[in-house]
Amino acid sequence: MQRTTSRRPLLARPVVVALAAAVALTATACAKTEDDTADNKQSETAAGAEQKVATPKAGGETCTIDAYGAEKIDLKNATVGFSQSEKEANPFRIAETQSIKDEAKKRGVKLLTANAQSQFSKQISDVQNLLAKGADLLVIAPLNSDGWDPVLQAAAAKKVPIITIDRKINAEPCKDYVSFIASDFVEQGRRAADQMIEATGGKGEVAILLGSAGNNVTTERTKGFKERIAEKAPDLKVVFEQTGDFSREKGQQVTEQLIQSKPGIKGIYAENDEMGLGAVTALKGAGKKAGDVKIVTVDGTRNAVQGVVDGWISGVIESNPRFGPLAFQTLDTFTKGEEVPQDIIIQDGAYNADNAKQDIGKAY
Amino acid sequence: MAEATLRTPPLDRARVLQWLQTYGVYAGVALLLVVNIVITPHFMSAENFRTQAVQVAPVIIVALGMALVIGTEGVDLSVGAVMALAASVTALYLGYGLLPALLVVALFAAGVGLANGALVAFIGVQPIVATLALMVGGRGLALVLLPQLEDLRNPALASLGSGGVAGIPYLILIAAALALLVAFVVRRTTFGRQLLAIGDSRPAAQLAGLPVRRVLIIVYVACALLAAVAGVLATARLQASDPTSLGNLMELSAITAVVVGGTPLTGGRVNIAGTVAGAVLIQLLTATLIKHDLPPSWTQIAQAIVIVCAVYAARGRGKR
Repeated sequence: MQRTTSRRPLLARPVVVALAAAVALTATACAKTEDDTADNKQSETAAGAEQKVATPKAGGETCTIDAYGAEKIDLKNATVGFSQSEKEANPFRIAETQSIKDEAKKRGVKLLTANAQSQFSKQISDVQNLLAKGADLLVIAPLNSDGWDPVLQAAAAKKVPIITIDRKINAEPCKDYVSFIASDFVEQGRRAADQMIEATGGKGEVAILLGSAGNNVTTERTKGFKERIAEKAPDLKVVFEQTGDFSREKGQQVTEQLIQSKPGIKGIYAENDEMGLGAVTALKGAGKKAGDVKIVTVDGTRNAVQGVVDGWISGVIESNPRFGPLAFQTLDTFTKGEEVPQDIIIQDGAYNADNAKQDIGKAY
Repeated sequence: MAEATLRTPPLDRARVLQWLQTYGVYAGVALLLVVNIVITPHFMSAENFRTQAVQVAPVIIVALGMALVIGTEGVDLSVGAVMALAASVTALYLGYGLLPALLVVALFAAGVGLANGALVAFIGVQPIVATLALMVGGRGLALVLLPQLEDLRNPALASLGSGGVAGIPYLILIAAALALLVAFVVRRTTFGRQLLAIGDSRPAAQLAGLPVRRVLIIVYVACALLAAVAGVLATARLQASDPTSLGNLMELSAITAVVVGGTPLTGGRVNIAGTVAGAVLIQLLTATLIKHDLPPSWTQIAQAIVIVCAVYAARGRGKR
C-alpha cells in the first residue's frame, strides 16, 4: 500500500502540470468575444476630458522646492516613478495609470511604474524599489493613508519629492510630501444630492447604495449627500442604506430586496457607477421602465453615461481619474523652483440628460 | 463512567441536539418565514419569493457540490474562483454562441476539478491545501483572461438569466433539478455509497477494494462543474462578466449552507435537503436584515450565530 501510493505521485505530477499548461494555453488561443467585430472601447481621450483645478485658492498653503529641501532638476531629464495602489481591473484605475503613462510619453519623461495589487506591504516595497531604481520624483496613488513612514524616510534621505494622487497620506505636506491632488468626495456627494433633488422634485423616499465599509470614499460621499439633502430638501427622506461593496452584483442583489420591501422608493443614490448599473439591471428584471426610479451615481464611466443616454440613470457625477497632465504640470512647476499648492482639488464634471449624448466621449 | 451516572438527562439533551441537527435548519427557515410574514411589509408576494429564490439559486448549486466534497471528508475552497473563471471564459467565448461558450466553460471547470482531485487522490495533499492553491490560481487565471468587467448582450444568455417557464425563472428550475439529481446520486447509486464510504474511512474503503481515487476525482470534478454552472447563471443574471468580484467568499457561503444543513465536516454523511434549506436560511436571514435596513455588520454577526448553533448541534452528535 505504502509503496504504491508513494510511486504514483511521480507519474501524477507531470500529468497535472501538463494539464494546467494545456488549459492555460488553449484559453487565449482561439477566444472570440462578442466585441471582436465592433470594438468601441478605445481609450483615446476626448478633448476637454482632462482634469481642471477647481479653486486655485489665493490663501491656500503652497510649497516651493527650497522649503521642501530638494534640488532643482529639469523634468525632461528626470526619472519619474509611479506607484499604483489597486490592480488595473476597474475603469478608474485603468484610466488613471493610462493617463500617467500618456503624459510621461507626451513630455518625453522616463517613467517607472509599479502596481501594488491592493496589498499595502507590496506598495511599500514597490516605492522602495522605485527609489532604488533611481526615481528622481515620485507620484503615488496610496492604498492606505497611514503607514508611510519607512517610505517617507527613504525618500527624504534621497531628497525625492512626492506627489500623492486620489488618496491622501497622513503626513506633513511640504515636508514629507509636496502636494496632494484629488477630487473632493464630500463635494461629489453634495452634487449627487443636487441631481437627486432635481430628478425627484425634492419629495419622497430615496435609498443609498453604500460603498465598501471602512473606506473614506464611502464615508465622504455619504456625508456630502446627506448634508445637502437635509439642508435643501427636508422632504426627501433617506429610508434605506445598505452596502453594495462597490460591485455590480451586490448592487443588483440589494436593489432587488429594496424594490420588494419598499415599492414606493423614488430614487437610488449609488456611490459608484457599478452599483448603479447593478440597480438598473435589478429594475429591468422587476419589469420597471426607464425613469420609474431615479438613479444618481458617482464616477463617470462610459457604461454609466450610456445609462444616462438610455434614460435609466438620471445623473452621473464625475470623479476624474486622468491625473497625468495635472500631476506632471505640478512636478514641472515645482522642479523649476516655483510654488505649487499643497492641496490641489480637481473640478469634476457631471452628466445628465442634457449633455450625456455629446459628452459621452469624455467618459472613461 | 460519568456518562453512566448522568444517564437520563444527557440522553434527553443528546436527543434534542440530534433533533436540532436534523430538523433545526427547517425550524429556522420556518421561524424566519413566520417572523417576516408578521413584521416585513410586502413579504407575502410571489414577486418576493421569486427574488429570494433567484438570489439563492447559485449558492444552492455551489453548496450541492460542496456537500459531495464534504461527504468525502474533504473541502473545496476553489468554488468561488471557478465561478469567476466561468464568468471570464463565458465572456471570452460568447462570440461563438452560448452553447460553444458553455462547453468551453465546462472544459475549464473540469480542468480545475481534475487538478483538485488529482492533488487530493494521487498526491495525497490535504483537500484544504490543494483547493486553496486552485482558489488563488483560478481567480488569477480568470483575471488574466478577462482583466475587467465586460458587459454581455447575448440574447440567449440574457434569457437564461431572467427568463423562465410559466413564471418560474430558469435559475430556480435548474437549481431544483440539480438538487434532485445530486440527492438521487447520493441516496440511490453505487457511486453515492462509495462516496460516503470513503468519507467514513478512506483506509477502510481502500481495503474494501473501492475505487477510491476515481471516486474522489469524479467528486471534485462534479463540484467544479456545479460551481461553473452557478458562475454562468450568476453572469447571465448580471448580464455582465465580472471576474473580480463574482464568487467572492462563495466558498464560505457554500460551506455554511452545508454545515448548517446538518452535514458533518467529518464526512460519511450528506444531507442534500438540509443543504438546500441551509442556503435558504442564510438567504432569508440576509434578506430580513437588508429589508429592515439594519447595518450590514449585523448580517455577519447573525450568520456567525447560526453557524455556531449548527456546529454546537453537530458536536452533540459527534460525542454520542
